[in-house]
Amino acid sequence: MQLTRQQSILKKALTNPLALAGFVIIVSVFILAMLAPWIAPYDPNDINVKAILLAPSAQHWMGTDGLGRDVLSRMLHGGQISLLVGLVAVGISTAIGILLGALAGFYRGWVDTLIMRLVDVMLSIPSFFLILAVIAFLTPSIINIMIVIGLTSWMGVTRLVRAEFLSLTEREFVTASRTLGAKDARLIFTHLLPNSLTPIIVSAVLGVAGAVLMESGLSFLGLGVQAPQASWGNILTDGKEYIQFAWWLSLFPGLAILITVLGYNLLGEGLRDALDPRSSSNR
Amino acid sequence: MIENQLHHIKIIIAASLIALLTACHDSNIGGETKEKLNENYANESGGTLISAMTGEPSGLISMIAGESASSAISSNIFNSLLKYNKNLDLEGDLVEGWQISDDQKTITFTLKPNLKWADNQPITSADVLFTWQAVTDEKTASPYASDFQLVKKAETPDPRTFKVTYDQAYAPALDSWAGLQILPKHLLAGQDLHTTAFARNPVGSHYYKLDGWAHGEYLKLSRNPNSVLGQAKIDKLITRIIPDNSAQFLELMADNIDTMGLDPIKYSRIIPARPELQQKLGLYKELGNSYTYMGFNLKHKPFDDVRVRQAINYAIDKQEIIDGVYLGLGINIASPYKPGTRWSNPNLSPYPYNPAKAHELLKQAGFTDTNGDGILERDGKPFAFEIVTNQNKEREKSAVLIQRRLKEVGIDVKIRAIEWASFISRFIKTGDFDVVVLGWGLGLDPDQYNIWHSSQQAPGQFNFIGYHNPKVDKLLEAGRLELNPDKRMKIYHEFAQVLLEDSPIVYLSAGYGLTAIHKRVKGIDNPAPPAGIGHNSQDWYIPTPLRRNEMAAN
Repeated sequence: MQLTRQQSILKKALTNPLALAGFVIIVSVFILAMLAPWIAPYDPNDINVKAILLAPSAQHWMGTDGLGRDVLSRMLHGGQISLLVGLVAVGISTAIGILLGALAGFYRGWVDTLIMRLVDVMLSIPSFFLILAVIAFLTPSIINIMIVIGLTSWMGVTRLVRAEFLSLTEREFVTASRTLGAKDARLIFTHLLPNSLTPIIVSAVLGVAGAVLMESGLSFLGLGVQAPQASWGNILTDGKEYIQFAWWLSLFPGLAILITVLGYNLLGEGLRDALDPRSSSNR
Repeated sequence: MIENQLHHIKIIIAASLIALLTACHDSNIGGETKEKLNENYANESGGTLISAMTGEPSGLISMIAGESASSAISSNIFNSLLKYNKNLDLEGDLVEGWQISDDQKTITFTLKPNLKWADNQPITSADVLFTWQAVTDEKTASPYASDFQLVKKAETPDPRTFKVTYDQAYAPALDSWAGLQILPKHLLAGQDLHTTAFARNPVGSHYYKLDGWAHGEYLKLSRNPNSVLGQAKIDKLITRIIPDNSAQFLELMADNIDTMGLDPIKYSRIIPARPELQQKLGLYKELGNSYTYMGFNLKHKPFDDVRVRQAINYAIDKQEIIDGVYLGLGINIASPYKPGTRWSNPNLSPYPYNPAKAHELLKQAGFTDTNGDGILERDGKPFAFEIVTNQNKEREKSAVLIQRRLKEVGIDVKIRAIEWASFISRFIKTGDFDVVVLGWGLGLDPDQYNIWHSSQQAPGQFNFIGYHNPKVDKLLEAGRLELNPDKRMKIYHEFAQVLLEDSPIVYLSAGYGLTAIHKRVKGIDNPAPPAGIGHNSQDWYIPTPLRRNEMAAN
């Protein structure tokens, strides 16, 4: 029963042309990034001081940067970083969000109050500045970036899961299960959680888009991935210096970020439309 | 209702059309002006010069601030006793003359007559005495204090005479008085120089006075009618604070600022590729009195081993950095002095790029690749360190090139670039770093006691790499006390030689100062004399037809 529901949702989502487009975009970006070591024409860190800031050409499809490194190769390798950070950060935030949201929604009372006030406190701090502040105390590295983004963006998921749990715990099948003597853990993990999974997936997909942007922003500010490792954000920073002259350094990473974020958003929106009975009945 | 809205929309469209048209009109004027730029104009006073700086001064008392942003502004507001002329000879600034006693230990300065502060109070020798007391006061904790600590006695026999007596004849004495900006006693006596409001609202004696300071936006100076050296030509100097270099460049292109410092790529690639910029901007290049280096924390292992330092020096290709990062606008140096000056030892040559030699030295120091991962180990620990630098594109790029070269000899390098203020407070002042890439800007006197003497290692002092070599200490002490220029030169040549062998830092490049100035500014010496492009900025002028709309500039 469960499987067929998921399958039908997926089917519905993928018949939505926008969601399909998003799906195709993300899959292609993933394939390109994963194949980077094989398809990148050059070593991304191969410096050539004799070929600084060359415009795109047959040799360098996306030109070269301020140290003569091939931008296409850096874009492909940088893509791995951007995508990895997006996925892991959202994994962390979703895990925290599910845990706290489940506790709040299931136990209610003071547990709920405590967790939801914590959410309010976290939400009242502008998250980008919170992340900047935390990174300032840590060494900037991919791992820290992933952890910090994850630890500062779980609040939406918490609210979502809590709301789902609040409505689900009133449903007959939960009451029935409880009456039959099911333990809390069993109720949460076998009944409540699987039934709230779909909105969580939608929020996670949309969250990846946010995390990709966040990583790019941090790397752009020099607080993310450190040299010489490439990420779309730090290629963009290098390009900023020469934007009137070396347009290729800003355009390509900018486009990559745009397309990836667009892809995640389209897929997320498509999934939401597919899952939300009201919006589908409108169509 | 709808009609009303339509009406509004029409107004908006009309307004934007007008704006568009005026914008076009403006650029037409700009086009005409470009042809006018190279005509000859009469030298006249007035006008506003707008420049930009990346960092805001923390205050305008430069002996406290000790930063370039502060002295860039305060040098327009305060005078010193002496100054360097365009050929770098000393001449009087506040003083009309000075006499050195026969035993070379006493200098008597005579102030010019009728000097006045901008607030009409007279400038007297009491102000000079006050300034000397302030800079040497321990509470002031000025990084320049050691320049004046050898003064045994300072006296003011009369309001126009200031007499200093040194323990021993002190060679950099006159240079140190040329660097000390004299402060008004009547406004500062009894105040804490670190907290006084004067630092944001100074009263000086030089060509300009501070008119306004909008935090994070601009500092506005206007001519000081009491200027002790006569009147400057340009009426107002506005310095805008634009932290981002590329934003500064956009403002320069849009004609909203008249001058800025350039990086090599803007200087030799971007501007030459754009005729409209070449038409309106004058480009100036001068070999600065500064260099970029990679410095080891000598208190950290394994940098206490000279073989390791030398090995790293051999492993770095300096020419590659000069070509790749500075686009050839740099010089490979072997002593910490401006190349071509008498203090720079011509017999020294930089460490050549020689990875084989580096390997050999590292092996002698006990580093071998035992596990075959390409990284050397000693006592089971891989040779890895972090290069810290501030967010300066040239330094970051140099670090990336160094990282690659060191990887080739088996050293794993990480790079960290952070913002200037936290770079200083977290790494330099605490000494919590392995290796830094930084630059030194130098004075004209060869004395580098502040930087290399083992006594100068306290937090906030300049020997933060922890260099300690008794031989260098002795040479630095001797150099300060040697008045014969030829003997002095020999001392500093020997100092540079010891330093090179010891390799506490790797000289990366002595770079050129690159500046763009709008061609509306006339009277600039080109090529720049030894004192630099700005030496006669008081005589620069902007002819009336070339001035920008002064209302807009205000």
